[in-house]
Amino acid sequence: MVPPEYYLVLSAAIFCIGLFGILTRRNALLFLMSVELMLNAANINLVAFSYVWGNVTGQTFALFTMALAAAEVAIGLGIIMVLYRNFGGVDVTDATTMRW
Amino acid sequence: MAGIFDFVPAIVLLPFVSFLVALAVGNRMPKGGAFAGIVATAGSFLLSLATFFTVSQGQTYNQTIYTWAQGLDGAVTLEFGLLIDPLSALMLVIVTLIALLVHIFSLGYMNDEGETGLPRYYAGLGLFTASMLGFVVADNLLMAFMFFELVGLCSYLLIGFWFREPGPPSAAKKAFLVTRFGDYFFLVGVVAVFATFGTAAFAGSESFPHLAEQALAGETSVNTFGFAAETWFTIVGLLVLGGVVGKSAQFPLHTWLPDAMEGPTPVSALIHAATMVAAGVYLVARMYGFYALSPTALAIIALIGGFTALFAATMGVVKREIKQVLAYSTISQYGYMMLGLGGGGYVAATFHLMTHAFFKALLFLGAGSVIIAMHHNENMWDMGGLKEKMPVTYYTFLSGSLALAGIFPFAGFWSKDEVLYETLIHGLGGSPILLVAYAMGLLAVFFTGFYTFRMVFLTFHGKPRSQTARDPHGVRWNVKGPLAVLGVLAATTGVVNMVPVEKLLGIKGIDFLHQWLDMSLDGLTAHHYAELTPYSSAYIGGEATTVAIGAAVSLGLAIAGAGLAYVLYNVPEPTEHTDKLGGIKTLLYNNYYQDEYQVWLANSVVRPISRGADKFDQGVVDGVVNGVSSVSLFSGSRVRRIQTGVVSNYAALLTLGLTVLLLGFGLLGGWFQ
Amino acid sequence: MMIEALMAVTFAAALVVFVAPDEYAGRLAAALSLLPVVGSLLMWAQYDASGNALLGGDIAFETDFVWLSLGNLDVHWFVGVDGISLPLLVLTTILTTLAIVSAWTPIDVRQSQFYGLMLFMEANLLGVFTALDFFVWFVFWEAVLVPMYFLIGIWGGPRRKYAAIKFFVYTNIASLVMFIGFIALVFGLGDSVSSMRLPEIAQALRADQLGSFAGLSADALKLVAFVAMFLGFAVKVPVVPLHTWLPDAHVEAPTPASVMLAGVLLKMGTYALLRFNFTMMPDVAKALVVPIAVIAVLSVIYGAILALAQQDLKRIVAYSSVSSMGYVILGLVAYTTYGVGGATFQMIAHGLISGLMFMAVGVIYNTTHTRMLGDMSGIADRMPVTSGIFVAGAFGYMGLPLMAGFAGEFFIFQGSFQSTVHSAMPLFTAAAMFGIVIVAGYLLSAMQRTLFGPFRFDGDYEVTEAAFHDVAPLAVLLLLVIVLGVDPDIFFTMIQQAVNPILETGGGL
Repeated sequence: MVPPEYYLVLSAAIFCIGLFGILTRRNALLFLMSVELMLNAANINLVAFSYVWGNVTGQTFALFTMALAAAEVAIGLGIIMVLYRNFGGVDVTDATTMRW
Repeated sequence: MAGIFDFVPAIVLLPFVSFLVALAVGNRMPKGGAFAGIVATAGSFLLSLATFFTVSQGQTYNQTIYTWAQGLDGAVTLEFGLLIDPLSALMLVIVTLIALLVHIFSLGYMNDEGETGLPRYYAGLGLFTASMLGFVVADNLLMAFMFFELVGLCSYLLIGFWFREPGPPSAAKKAFLVTRFGDYFFLVGVVAVFATFGTAAFAGSESFPHLAEQALAGETSVNTFGFAAETWFTIVGLLVLGGVVGKSAQFPLHTWLPDAMEGPTPVSALIHAATMVAAGVYLVARMYGFYALSPTALAIIALIGGFTALFAATMGVVKREIKQVLAYSTISQYGYMMLGLGGGGYVAATFHLMTHAFFKALLFLGAGSVIIAMHHNENMWDMGGLKEKMPVTYYTFLSGSLALAGIFPFAGFWSKDEVLYETLIHGLGGSPILLVAYAMGLLAVFFTGFYTFRMVFLTFHGKPRSQTARDPHGVRWNVKGPLAVLGVLAATTGVVNMVPVEKLLGIKGIDFLHQWLDMSLDGLTAHHYAELTPYSSAYIGGEATTVAIGAAVSLGLAIAGAGLAYVLYNVPEPTEHTDKLGGIKTLLYNNYYQDEYQVWLANSVVRPISRGADKFDQGVVDGVVNGVSSVSLFSGSRVRRIQTGVVSNYAALLTLGLTVLLLGFGLLGGWFQ
Repeated sequence: MMIEALMAVTFAAALVVFVAPDEYAGRLAAALSLLPVVGSLLMWAQYDASGNALLGGDIAFETDFVWLSLGNLDVHWFVGVDGISLPLLVLTTILTTLAIVSAWTPIDVRQSQFYGLMLFMEANLLGVFTALDFFVWFVFWEAVLVPMYFLIGIWGGPRRKYAAIKFFVYTNIASLVMFIGFIALVFGLGDSVSSMRLPEIAQALRADQLGSFAGLSADALKLVAFVAMFLGFAVKVPVVPLHTWLPDAHVEAPTPASVMLAGVLLKMGTYALLRFNFTMMPDVAKALVVPIAVIAVLSVIYGAILALAQQDLKRIVAYSSVSSMGYVILGLVAYTTYGVGGATFQMIAHGLISGLMFMAVGVIYNTTHTRMLGDMSGIADRMPVTSGIFVAGAFGYMGLPLMAGFAGEFFIFQGSFQSTVHSAMPLFTAAAMFGIVIVAGYLLSAMQRTLFGPFRFDGDYEVTEAAFHDVAPLAVLLLLVIVLGVDPDIFFTMIQQAVNPILETGGGL
């Protein structure tokens, strides 16, 4: 059996890639993709621990997360559409009207 | 049996009802509600007379009639009650009589002169009378204080009657404020009396004078707040005296009284003769059993009285307005009463209170008559020669003036002489401080004679000095009637207490007032007071000799003063001889700058303090509050700048925060060790 | 269920008025607000209980059931009145009706909302004075602030936002401090109480069942809680130096809101001080008598001196409220029948008289649109009735005998002078009593300058006598003030019955 550390390392790696994307990219689509990566990193963790402990709750939660992610993407894409319409682009740093 | 005493509350309530009637429907009644007042005061007067006669048969009445605040579980109960004894019965008659005459006189002074606002005027008179009567019949100090304050309110309303002019409201304010200052001490005194004795009743075995007497004799103990009993009683007595000094216009709180001349003249008569100013002296007489226990308090009363008598008399010498002269004479005469009370002459002071009520009411009403005639010009230098044109006013005014100056055999002579005599013999009996007060009182007699007759001669004698004096306005029965009644009284009331005659000629039993005041309840008799006072008597030669010398000296001084006035002013074209006094005249004319220093205190001390306090409050106290809010507003305005609106920055902060948290937990949790 | 009915009717009235059309809102609100007046008077007529609600005495019109269970501390719906709260209840209902009538003239925009908020505030005030469970009480206590915030913030003067926010934030922070203090006490009591009902807590505290909490010994905890609660309530009273929100709030508030603020809201502070600090922790109060008495005297004198410097009629009355409430604190700390009873009586008396004065100033302001002393003189010439009542009210404020103010003040002086709590109490009393001279000074000066003298008015408005419905509430208040002054026993007997158990020592003198 593959030791759980491997899964965790994989998930941490994916999470960090996602985080890196969020911190450096300005394109909203890439932003969304990075978020998805981070979500899936969490999913991997859930499934991995579920596997280790022999408890299916984790896997159930992973399924829930996927469904949520789908919904989130739908909303996210909607926001990006509006962003594009209002600011003429999908650069997240342009939309600063909600600051102080 | 429904005795006359059951109707005593009606004496107080009748004028109160007239107040309500005049206030509510006065403007729909003929004469602006005057008749309601006249009927009410006449009713009160008749009831007072009936009470007087009942008391003269030896009956007294001391009864609680209303519980104001019921104290539970041992707390003191505050009550209203009636105390009808010879003193209050006498005072009831005086007050109701003068109130009645003032009401009638007002028909001439106010209605016939076409004043507006008459319902307000008569309402004020009614309330004034009712308050004073309530004060007179009060059986305890708290009730006395409450009506004392109401009297103050009424004086405010009536002095400020002509509120559309600038002067009267200011005078009214001053009158209330100055007397309020005195009443502050009075109120502290009332509270102290309750705290000390648990009661404030004037009469009976549970009354505070009686308890104080017992406490001094060691028969009972009271809470004296850590002082020796006598010291504490002196303090309490002096606190109550504060109210007396304010209301009876004694030095240094006399300044309101001359200003109060801004009110209508009948009101001045009422204030000076029977109500407000009399209230102070009456209060001391009422609780004389308490003051008599404290030599210090008595000495202070005598000194204040003697000094005020002289001090006010000197100011009366130079005044131009007839009412101003009378105002200072009032202050001076109440000084005599205080002198009498302080000097152990309880009966003498009461006697002077009574005679003064008559002749001072007479003089004010006479002055009112002159003022009507002069079309409301009060300056005596514009008068002169009114003798022929208004004989009734002249002869009654003369009667009052002779009484005021203390010329034999008018009423004022007897009472003033007795005041001075009592002070003298007690002073000789080992109280040198009384001799000082006596000397001041004696000197004041001369000035009294002078300013009184200066006023008479300037007003009525010589040649008319203005057009109005040549052709004065006539007065009607409603002015002459009250003057005639009072003129007779001022001339004759001396007979009720001719002590000098008794002493000199040995006719026993004509000191009616002494006998009258001895008929009171136990502990309130003149006899008892004489025992309580710390004075002993001594005489120059024999008793009769002392009487004769005292009377001769005071009469001589009075005649000397009057004679000087006769020489200087009873000429066809008098000139202002007091101008020769130079700087002293200026000083006197400006009332020793007493007003100035009090106004200075109010305007240059209190006002700046309050403005400074306001600045402090706005700047410092509120500044701190606003400072706290600006600190939070300022820090908020700085901290909010991390809300850049750039999503990436938020994400970076989020990450940073997570990292810091992880590191923090890690360090604390010991992962890195 | 009387109290619940009273509150329900008032809340319902608030809702109805809130949605009523503007033109009828004022009349409707006045008519509906008569219901609680009748209700409270009915309660007063039926009241036959005695004793202090918190200390095991009878509780009239009591309802008590568990409302929420929170672990070992239950929240009860627990309401009832005793001799302390019933007079305040009557005061609240009467004053609200009169304030609503006095609003008919000055309030000319968004009337239905205004009157709705007034009634909403009344309902919450009824809750404050009747709730006997801390949680319920606190909800009402805080809820009172909300309508007042809007009343000042929407219908107020030029600086209304500043005043409203200052009022709200200041009093709210104070409530927070007080809340912490009280909750610390509840935790300190631990298992000896099973609910936040005030009688339970009061009796546990007086039976010395307080334990240590948060590292504080029982005594220290009590002291800290006392001080925290005192500060919290003192802001509401307000006492110097925590008073600065009051003049601003008063000056900016519309007249009816000022009436409620001075007449009832300030009494919440002293009521709570009496109920919490002075009833629950008499030992601490007696230990702190000197600082409390100093604060009281300072409030009286300093407030009066500040009033002397003001040029705005409303500010004068506002500062004199600070002064008058100082007497209440002095009476409370005296721990005598007349002291504490007089303080309670003074709450009622001052509620009526300050309401009267604010209304009278408001009536003049409706006509002249100015409140500055220098802008007018001789108003009595044109407005004789209003001026007459103004003068009568001012004398009531100065403590004229046979008016309610004198009764309250005299009781307090009487009680505090002979208080045995501290040997210097007579001196404190004498010092505070000097307030009666200063109050006469500034009120007489203000009247002399505005009401009397030759008529002069610099504005463009015609100065005429006010309408009947403007003057009528003044007359009613004046009548009440006189009735209470002539016969203080109307309330004073029940007040004493409720107050005496607090004193432990019985009545004393």
